[in-house]
Amino acid sequence: MENSHGHVSHGQTADSHDSGHGFDTKAIWRTFWILLVITCIELIVGMFIAPRFPHTTKVWFNILYIIFTGAKAFYIIAEFMHLRHEIKNMIMTIAIPALLFIWFIGAFLWDGDSFKNLRNTLDPHHKEATQKPVAPAPAHGTEEHLK
Amino acid sequence: MANAVSANQKWWSGGRSPFNVEYGKLMMWYFLMSDAFTFGAFLISYGSIRFATNAWPDPNHVFSSFPFMGHTHLPLVFVSLMTFILIMSSVTMVLAVGAGHMKDRKGVIKWMLWTILGGIAFLSCQAWEWTHLYHQGAWWGSNPFLNYDNTQSTTNFTNFFFTITGFHGFHVFSGVVINIIMLIMAINGTFDRRGHYLMIEKAGLYWHFVDLVWVFVFTCFYLF
Amino acid sequence: MSNEATHGHPEVVTTHEAHHDEHHVHHHKETFITKYVFSQDHKMIARQFLITGMAWAIIGGLMSVLFRLQLGYPDQSFPFLEDILGRWAKDGKITAESYYALVTMHGTVLVFFVLTGGLSGTFANFLIPLQIGARDMASPFLNMLSYWFFFIASVIMFSSLFVQTGPFSGGWTAYPPLSALGEASPGSKVGMDLWITSMALFVVSSLLGGLNYIATILNMRTKGMSMTRMPLTIWALFFTAVLGVLSFPVLLSGFILLLFDRHAGTSFYLDSIYIGSAALPNEGGSAILYQHLFWFLGHPEVYIIILPAMGIVSEVMSVNARKPIFGYMAMVGSLFAIAILAFLVWAHHMFVTGMNPFLGSVFVLLTLLIAIPSAIKVFNWLTTIWRGNIRFTPGMMFSLGFVSLFISGGLTGIFLGNSALDIALHDTYFVIAHFHIVMGVAGFFGMFAGIYHWFPKMFGRFLNNTMAYIHFWVTLIGSYLIFWPMHYEGLAGMPRRYLDYTNWLSFNQFDGLNKFISTVAMVVFAVQLMFIFNFFYSIFKGRRVTVKNPWGSSTLEWTTPIVAGHGNWPGEIPEVHRWAYDYSKDGREYISQTEPVTPDEKPH
Repeated sequence: MENSHGHVSHGQTADSHDSGHGFDTKAIWRTFWILLVITCIELIVGMFIAPRFPHTTKVWFNILYIIFTGAKAFYIIAEFMHLRHEIKNMIMTIAIPALLFIWFIGAFLWDGDSFKNLRNTLDPHHKEATQKPVAPAPAHGTEEHLK
Repeated sequence: MANAVSANQKWWSGGRSPFNVEYGKLMMWYFLMSDAFTFGAFLISYGSIRFATNAWPDPNHVFSSFPFMGHTHLPLVFVSLMTFILIMSSVTMVLAVGAGHMKDRKGVIKWMLWTILGGIAFLSCQAWEWTHLYHQGAWWGSNPFLNYDNTQSTTNFTNFFFTITGFHGFHVFSGVVINIIMLIMAINGTFDRRGHYLMIEKAGLYWHFVDLVWVFVFTCFYLF
Repeated sequence: MSNEATHGHPEVVTTHEAHHDEHHVHHHKETFITKYVFSQDHKMIARQFLITGMAWAIIGGLMSVLFRLQLGYPDQSFPFLEDILGRWAKDGKITAESYYALVTMHGTVLVFFVLTGGLSGTFANFLIPLQIGARDMASPFLNMLSYWFFFIASVIMFSSLFVQTGPFSGGWTAYPPLSALGEASPGSKVGMDLWITSMALFVVSSLLGGLNYIATILNMRTKGMSMTRMPLTIWALFFTAVLGVLSFPVLLSGFILLLFDRHAGTSFYLDSIYIGSAALPNEGGSAILYQHLFWFLGHPEVYIIILPAMGIVSEVMSVNARKPIFGYMAMVGSLFAIAILAFLVWAHHMFVTGMNPFLGSVFVLLTLLIAIPSAIKVFNWLTTIWRGNIRFTPGMMFSLGFVSLFISGGLTGIFLGNSALDIALHDTYFVIAHFHIVMGVAGFFGMFAGIYHWFPKMFGRFLNNTMAYIHFWVTLIGSYLIFWPMHYEGLAGMPRRYLDYTNWLSFNQFDGLNKFISTVAMVVFAVQLMFIFNFFYSIFKGRRVTVKNPWGSSTLEWTTPIVAGHGNWPGEIPEVHRWAYDYSKDGREYISQTEPVTPDEKPH
């Protein structure tokens, strides 16, 4: 009961505003086009450009994909989920915990890579077994692999 | 923003929400935060295992088919279509939320219908893709594909693929169910009686989150 | 942009109104079921969590007595054990399988069901609405579901004790391959499936609760209760909830992958395993991955246990020293720092797994940083009681005990946080001593401090003081007598998780010491039973509380009626005008938070 007192006046001002203007539909469609264009660029890079380069350059394409993904994620969160228009403190309560992912990802990948190097160094059999080609033709789901 | 709360004003005078959002929306946001850690843990585990493995299959070879096109080689096209469907349904969801703000029941119903349709279309695409892969011999614990350098691949490629896309598909499915409930409530006029369409907004947050996760799944499985 | 930022307002009104209508309806038709069983009153849910947690504490404590019996008297047989455990203690001697099952269940039960569910479940539910001035949680319904998920998880975990192949027995951390392969041990069969199911439900319960706590603290504070006027209990419970919401999902993911490994033929965690002489087909997984996922929760988990205890201790200590808490903002800041660091240090549990030592060195650095906020807290507690007008109530005694234990246990944490030392100390009794003192006993002391302090608010009666003092002294001295010697055993290299050390000549010197530890453990356990008796006796027969505010405390919960109904305050919710720690100010013993600030006094 107590709690509701504070709202009434706020609520009414907000109400009159809301009925006056609508949602910013233009911004939504702009976001849509941005997301669509990024996806198309990813498609073109992944389908036509990346396969022309040797596998050792894959990491550079991956960095490119990460940048694209980050951009898409930003637009979805900021515009579709409306976070950009919330109060700054609320944005912070979402953004600060999200920063925990940096070390979460970093440590896990670091240790994964280290595990690989460790095995390749200490277990020559494992290295040989995993680096020996088993078929001359490229893999394309052949029938003999069916269960 | 200026007339709601100015940045310099001491924003807490008690008795109202400090973030100008009701508690349900706040809970939804923090639930999505925790769900982001669930998906994050899956994708990071996948990354960790991939970094710990000497070679990995090339997604351009694995995911190269398109329905009704026979044995074509169209890498990424089908999954891009799925991405498009999901982004499109996110847009219709935002429009439904916008209609809800204007208490436009007809608009809400129309856009919710499109959103649900988009969700079902996405799930159908995923069902087709899973079936196709299954017929190629891929499943949990069985991987017919070779690594990009023709070495023997471990089953973890398919294990992670099915687990993570499955978990995402499960989220899409629950999103569709939630949206259907929202649609029924809108048709019955429940929100009009309440005087607000806030539930649509919360369902919308969930739906966009599903879209957001797909963006990462798309990159991690189909591009890397 | 302006209109978009405001759209929250109109709904806020309606939701709160709807909320209150609900209360009214609720008041009118309260049956036994809605009042005591499926109650949506946060105070009742808190009591449900507390009593369930106490039941688990007895079970978990009893398990430790049983395996301590084995460790202290490995050469003797106790026929009564066969009566309790049946074939798990053939001829009165605990078998190896049942020993592992007992230690596994002891860990799982006490870490999750007692010190997480029982501690933060109880006090977050009880204190958050009362101390911030709210009628109830943001969503009383989800709050109720949180308890019932906890209850179902409890039932499933308990039922796993009675299956044919026994409960899970691969350690509370459930590392694969022991947890991933049914063939690995009897406990890895259906017992493990029940264990995972139960833990998954526990995660759901903790998420429902945590989201509710966060939303309530942020959104439902009464007029004037700014974040910096909140009692430290609320800050601590807030960060606890944040830790739970962000770390339990990672454990859930780890468990889902584990389930696939168990039942879908995947190999997320499995690689190059031989059973007998046959190699399993699983290739390419990494058991270390599970450990990373587990400890990404596991480390925040220890703060989920200790932060509520810290909050309770800060509050109880300030009230009973009749002094404001020293360094309020430093206390909040150090809680925040601990909450952040909790997510950055998990792999210090894994120094000897074969993890990259350079990665380990980063974890050493981050781990040792925790000493800073911990030390800030300890010194602030000491300066809070310095020159205080201390009242040695049982709650205060347990708070002081907490600080003592936190220092003794925390210091050994600095030893273990160094990877070079950890190579020697890992998996020895030194580790057992460390985490039992700093997390187990200290967590319990925080819980006891809270129970003794808020029992009058919970049940309208006091606990018996004589039994309380006996409880305190025996538990404090007993805990040190149990765990202090274990440091020496650990430094001598005695490993944990062994059924019997008699054939190991280097540790024969500890035979007498082990007997001593086991004896003390039984005495301490008996005293806990006395506390349980005191608890239930006092609910019905304890001295009645006759004044609203028996401890002379300035916080809001003591402005409610002695036995508060659903909705907490019969009239308006009081408005808050000052912080929670105005003790011994302007010649007055305490000033309630509800008292307006007079012109000649400095507002906080």
